[in-house]
Amino acid sequence: MTPAISLTGLSRRYGDQLAIDDVTLQIDGPSITGLIGRNGAGKTTLLRIIAAQEFATAGTVRVLGSSPVENEAILPNVALVREDQAFPQFRVRHALEAASLFYPHWSAELAEELVASFELPPNRWVERLSRGMRSALGAVIGLAARAEVTLFDEPYAGLDAVARRVFYDRLLADYAEHPRTVLVSTHLIDEVSALLERVVILDRGRIVLDAGADEARSAFTRVSGAVEAVEEFVAGRAVLERRRIASQESAVVAGGLHDGDRPWARELRLTLEPLSLQQVMVQASARAAQQSKEREQA
Amino acid sequence: MLDDATPIFTQIADRLADEIADGGLAEGDRVPSTNELAAYYRINPATAAKGVNVLIDDGLLEKRRGIGMFVAAGARERLLEDRRRSFAERYVEPMVAEANRLGLDGDALIDLVREVGHAQGALER
Amino acid sequence: MSTTIKVARYHLIFPILLVAAPWALLAFTFAVNLIVTVIQGGPNPTKALAAIFAVMVFAGGLTMTRSLPFALTLGATRRSYYLGTVGLVIALAAFYGLAIAGLQALERATGGWGVSMYYFQPHYFLTGAWYLTWLSSFVGLVLLFVYGTWFGLLYQRWDTIGLFVFVFGQVILALTGVFIISGDHAWHSVGHFFTTLTAAGLTGALAALLCAGGFALIRGVTV
Repeated sequence: MTPAISLTGLSRRYGDQLAIDDVTLQIDGPSITGLIGRNGAGKTTLLRIIAAQEFATAGTVRVLGSSPVENEAILPNVALVREDQAFPQFRVRHALEAASLFYPHWSAELAEELVASFELPPNRWVERLSRGMRSALGAVIGLAARAEVTLFDEPYAGLDAVARRVFYDRLLADYAEHPRTVLVSTHLIDEVSALLERVVILDRGRIVLDAGADEARSAFTRVSGAVEAVEEFVAGRAVLERRRIASQESAVVAGGLHDGDRPWARELRLTLEPLSLQQVMVQASARAAQQSKEREQA
Repeated sequence: MLDDATPIFTQIADRLADEIADGGLAEGDRVPSTNELAAYYRINPATAAKGVNVLIDDGLLEKRRGIGMFVAAGARERLLEDRRRSFAERYVEPMVAEANRLGLDGDALIDLVREVGHAQGALER
Repeated sequence: MSTTIKVARYHLIFPILLVAAPWALLAFTFAVNLIVTVIQGGPNPTKALAAIFAVMVFAGGLTMTRSLPFALTLGATRRSYYLGTVGLVIALAAFYGLAIAGLQALERATGGWGVSMYYFQPHYFLTGAWYLTWLSSFVGLVLLFVYGTWFGLLYQRWDTIGLFVFVFGQVILALTGVFIISGDHAWHSVGHFFTTLTAAGLTGALAALLCAGGFALIRGVTV
């Protein structure tokens, strides 16, 4: 089965800055994948390239089997919701009308429901919308488009807690009924984490982790207990973080746990905890930085 | 509702298993669909499906095409048997280790267990 | 429905640039000139009709900067966006040209709206028969719109610097042209030139050329 999104050796260079660095990624649909990373990691650029709004400088992009660039067969099936979307002189309802023109699976019913849920004023000029309402408008368009490949770039930006919950629930509900390939980029990961089947972590344009959500969570472990016990346990492992207070220590180690580890930890009276996805992202980025420094020094 | 420590699908499987063991879901009862579970726990339907599949693989649930998923015959007994087997590892071992740390000997521990059993009205022969 | 048609419909959702602005400005300058003519009395061969043509340049620029990003996000290809936009303008311009020719005929018939104001017949321009007025206006509107798209696209691709280079280049060209024409005292023939059929044909050809250029430019636009 053709993957929904297939990137091979993708790179995008701006002058001497490599915004996307040799990214190879394959996403099969239907699925919900999270694209996470710090600000400036290259998430938006990657999504724009997938939606053919930006061009790659190396490598290939295939969406639903073909290159999306100037492709009239593919583009109607791709929806990209951007935080910084520029609109023409439109009111909210004009923007929705425009979307209904272009997306073949547009659901006016769903759009209406969502406008009500987000409390969007249909007659307000888009320019006049607050940041949160703009995000909400983007969310409405992205969801109601029911596009086979739906890309959300920081959909949460500016949404308050109530609106975030609406978005989350609506996305899940509509996804259950109309499964599609969803790629969500965000740096606020923990709220979305239960939504994701797969996690791709981007740091400085490179993929530093690409795994199932559960696998990703077990990529790092926090080891806590008495200082000597912790040190014994982490000897020989890649340690990313160490915190001490009095005779207690907490360290984050990379790499999964082996079979004998848990009983051994119990013996040493250590607690082993997985990290939340947010923490995984932070550690993965730190690890990538560490490794690139090691490479430079070598 | 869900914690960070174990994979979500495992938690889903465990909760359904708990329900079966407690008798909340009896033999032949229909189990919520993956979409219903996903909506309730607010998780990805695929994760819910993964959790359900664990129980199907263990023979505790069976899928009936077009109708849904149901608790298999003898599921409760099988579950209880499994749990009895792992009871020692999951509960007794940590308890013994802790009792040891606190300096309780075997008799003191057994007395404690009986006391608690009495208070709860459980552990009667 | 092809994407090109969708793009045309997209512009018509709230056609401020392509419909409202040109005609609002035309109506406004017409009214102002009418008032002035009535007050000052006597023949007033105003050139204010240029307003609607000028607006087309702005419309060209703005459709390529303001309206473009959202259309691309919705899935229009750059090709279909350019063709759809210019296609729509061609259709509208044919209509507008006819309206101008019609209003011109009315103006001539009423002796300049009763006050000798010749709004629809600027000095030396549009002096021919109604169908020539129609053709010249049509072609002129399209040409100026497409010219405007160049501004928009160059800005999209190369920012203010691109615009600067473009304007600078044209200023050089224009100065050279003015030099030559003034040297020959040939303004009269210039106006006459723009009214004859061959001129319309040549302007049309120029529009087509600029259109091809715009089409090539848009290929590289990223949003």
